[in-house]
Amino acid sequence: MGSAITKAILLILSADRELLNILGTTARVSLTSSLIALLIGVPIGILLGSSRFPGKGVITVINRTLMGMPPVVCGLLFYLLFSGVGPFRGLKLLFTVPIMIIAQVALITPIVIGNMETYVAGIAGPFRETCQGLGFGIGKRLRLMLNECAYSIFFVYLLAFARAIAEVGAVSMVGGAIAWKTNVMTTAIMQYTNMGSFTLGIALGIILMSISLIVNITISLMQRRFSQ
Amino acid sequence: MKKTLAMLLCAAMVTGMFATTAFASSADSASTEATSASSAVSEAEDGIVVNTTILMEADDAMINNYSLLAVNPEAPFVDADENPVEDVYVNTVGADALINWLLSEEGEDAAANYGYEEYGSYLFYLKDERPVSEAEIPEATEETKLIRLSTTTSVNDSGLLGYLLPMFEEKYGYEVEVYSAGTGKSIANAKMGNADLILVHSKSQEEAFVEAGFARIVDGMETERLTYMYNYFVLCGPSEDPAGVKDAEDVKAAFAAIAEGKYPFISRGDKSGTHTKELSLWPEDLGITDEAESFADYTDWYISANAGMGACLVMAEEQGAYILTDKATFLTFVANDGVVEG
Repeated sequence: MGSAITKAILLILSADRELLNILGTTARVSLTSSLIALLIGVPIGILLGSSRFPGKGVITVINRTLMGMPPVVCGLLFYLLFSGVGPFRGLKLLFTVPIMIIAQVALITPIVIGNMETYVAGIAGPFRETCQGLGFGIGKRLRLMLNECAYSIFFVYLLAFARAIAEVGAVSMVGGAIAWKTNVMTTAIMQYTNMGSFTLGIALGIILMSISLIVNITISLMQRRFSQ
Repeated sequence: MKKTLAMLLCAAMVTGMFATTAFASSADSASTEATSASSAVSEAEDGIVVNTTILMEADDAMINNYSLLAVNPEAPFVDADENPVEDVYVNTVGADALINWLLSEEGEDAAANYGYEEYGSYLFYLKDERPVSEAEIPEATEETKLIRLSTTTSVNDSGLLGYLLPMFEEKYGYEVEVYSAGTGKSIANAKMGNADLILVHSKSQEEAFVEAGFARIVDGMETERLTYMYNYFVLCGPSEDPAGVKDAEDVKAAFAAIAEGKYPFISRGDKSGTHTKELSLWPEDLGITDEAESFADYTDWYISANAGMGACLVMAEEQGAYILTDKATFLTFVANDGVVEG
C-alpha cells in the first residue's frame, strides 16, 4: 500500500500521456453523464414528489427498482442494443464515449429522480398551502420550489457523480476499455488487476479517490454559497 | 469561512490517516512491481523474487499457435433473440490491409524480433509454413480508417500489439482499435458484429468460428485460418516441484501427476485460449471441461480463477500452485518481478 501511494504520486508527477488520456476520458464521461442525468431527473423527481396523479405509485416503485439496477446489467443491455447485430447498429456507437455516457445516464437518472422525489414529497404539503395562501402562480411556484430544493440538488448531483465515476460494469461492457479511446480509471484498474499489477491498480484508485475528494469539496463550497 | 477551513482540515486529516495506515501495512504488500504506465515508477520498486518457474516446455503438445481470421460480412449473424441480421457492418478493406501487413515481410519480421532486447528471449516465432502476403496495401480512407481488432490478452499484455500496430498505423494512416479479452470472449465479440478481424489462439474455437461461416478468405490466401506465429505454453509451478513434473515423460503425464497428488493448480477458467489448451491436457477420466460441475469434486486442488493471465500468475505464486501459461506472458511476468508489463 505504501508503495502504491508513492506510485500514485509519481504517476501524477510523471504526467504520463496515457494516464492523462484516461483521466480526460473519465472526466468527460462522468461529468457529462451526471449532468445530463441531473437535467432529466430533477424535473421528473419534483413532478413526482409534488403532484398527485393515478399511476404515480407504480412509477415510483418502478423507479426505485431501477435505482438498484446492477451497472453490468445496464451495460449488457446497451451492448446488445448497440452491437453490430443489435437494433441500433446503424448508429455505430458501440465502444465510443457517447454510448458510455448514454449507458451511465440510464443508470444514474433513476437515482436522481428517486432522491428528488423523496425530498420534495416531504415538503410538498406545507409548500402547497403556503403558495395557495400567498396566491402564487405556476411560475412563482416553480422558482420557489427550485430555491427550496437548491441544497438537495447539490447533494443529488454529488450522488450522481459518485455513481458515475465509480462504476465499472456499464462502461467496460459498452466502452470495451480500448486504449486511448474508451479506457477510464475504473476499467484501467480492472485491466491492471487482470495483468497482476495490483499496486498500479491501487495507485490509480488513490488518484480516483483524490479527484472525487476535490469534486466533493468544490460542490460542497458551492452548496454553501447557493443555499445561504 | 471558518467552516470552510474546518472542512478542508477534516479532509486533510482523513487523507493523512489513510496514508499512515497504508504505509504501516506496506510490509503486507504481496506484489510490488514495475509498471507499464511510467518508467519513473519502476525504479521506486523493490521487487520480489519470483519462485514460480518453468518446469516443462517445448513439448509438442504445448505449441501455442496464433491465427488471424477476417470476419465475413455475409456471416450468419444473429441478434440476441437468435433472429438473423443481415446488414452488419464489417470493414473488410481495413481488415485486409492489416492482415496483409501483418503477413508481409515487414510485419512478420517485426513480430519475430519482438521482445529480444527487453526480455533476452524471443517471445513469438514464425511458423515454417505460414501464409505470406505481398499484396499492395491501400492507404486509409475516411470509410476504411477504423479497424476493429478483437484479440486475446496474451498478444496485448505481452506488448506485441503495442509494438506492431503503430508501425502499420503511421505508414498507412489506419487506426486500429484493440478489444482485448480471452479468446472465447474475443470470438463472441466478433460474432456480435463488433470486430473486423480477430487474432486468437484456440484451434478448436477458431475452427468452430470458420465452420459457422463467420470467417472469410482474404484475397490471395488459401484458408480462413491464417496461422502464422507461435510460441509455447509452459507448465509452471513452485521451484520445489512437489509433483515431480520435471521428470514426467511428457506434459500429459505431468498433468496426471498433479491431479494424482492433488497439488494446487490454477486454471484461468475463462474459455481463453490458455484455458482451452489446459482442458485438453488433463487425463480424460477426470472429465474436466469448462463446465463448473465437471470439476466440482476437485475443488480442494483445482482452482478455477476466472481471471486474466497476470492475476492467475500472481495467485499461483502466492499459493505455490501449478499453472499453465503462454511463455510470452510468463517471461514478462518474471522480468518485472511478478507482474505483467502492459
